Amino acid sequence: MTDSVAAPAGTEGTAARRLVLVLLAGGAVAVALGVYGRAHDPTHEQPYTLFFSSTIQLKVWFATAALALAALQVLLGLRLYDKITVPRRTPSWLGDAHRLVGTLAFAVTLPVAYQCLWALGFQSTDTRVLVHSLLGCFFYGIFTVKVLAVRVRGLPGPTLPVAGGVVFVTLVGVWLTSALWFFTSRPPGLPAY
Amino acid sequence: MFRKLVNVVEVLAAVGAVVAVVLLFANEPGSTTGSTPASPGAALFAANCASCHGADGEGGVGPQLADGAVVKQFPSVDDQITFVRDGSGSMPAFGGQLSPAQIRQVVEYTRTL
Repeated sequence: MTDSVAAPAGTEGTAARRLVLVLLAGGAVAVALGVYGRAHDPTHEQPYTLFFSSTIQLKVWFATAALALAALQVLLGLRLYDKITVPRRTPSWLGDAHRLVGTLAFAVTLPVAYQCLWALGFQSTDTRVLVHSLLGCFFYGIFTVKVLAVRVRGLPGPTLPVAGGVVFVTLVGVWLTSALWFFTSRPPGLPAY
Repeated sequence: MFRKLVNVVEVLAAVGAVVAVVLLFANEPGSTTGSTPASPGAALFAANCASCHGADGEGGVGPQLADGAVVKQFPSVDDQITFVRDGSGSMPAFGGQLSPAQIRQVVEYTRTL
């Protein structure tokens, strides 16, 4: 009985090779962003503000929105994996909702990351800034891994949920080292939005 | 119907990501100007201060420095040097990153903005 559910010979090796390729792709994205941020001459410009008082407020609130959407996506993912039981019956649209919320979270991060890379670059002024720069690059790397884990067949079973969890934890770190810092340390007189 | 909407949103997000990457390279300032800051103080300011105080000291996360704002805040150059070296509140201390001569250069530069 046990033999009947064991992986066929070579399957584990193939899955491991695919996982390595997926991780390499994610690593390449993270490193490419870091190299660009380091090599690029920061412009220190504020290209867009929408209805916020300046670009920094836009970035802070967009990052906060991304974090909220990511948290919602984690909850939807937990329901998909039956780790939580609310709602009791899984709606047929839950998987699509999970995809939509994750896509929106990613989309909201784009103008934030663009301004970070283009106007500020990869900086190491102090520990907070260095950690933020590293996590920002790592975020898109692990996000790439997660997207590929959805698309590539035959990866080890835990790849997708683990990648999703790491994406969320990384985004929390990015938010803590930027938006939370802004909310708690902004100079007197600087508007919150 | 909902799935089609999600597919469309995914495609739009992917297009947005591609556009962002293209813009990063299309707007590369080094490819058009290729210039270096006019003085050591300006270079130090661009590398260490502009991200918070703005490219021209107009302010951002950090307060405005230009148009006499920093001179008004610190009538004494030495007081400003001490502030930059030791930091205060959300202002990082630069004493560990810049030499005393560099701090003086960047301080004197900010007072010309």
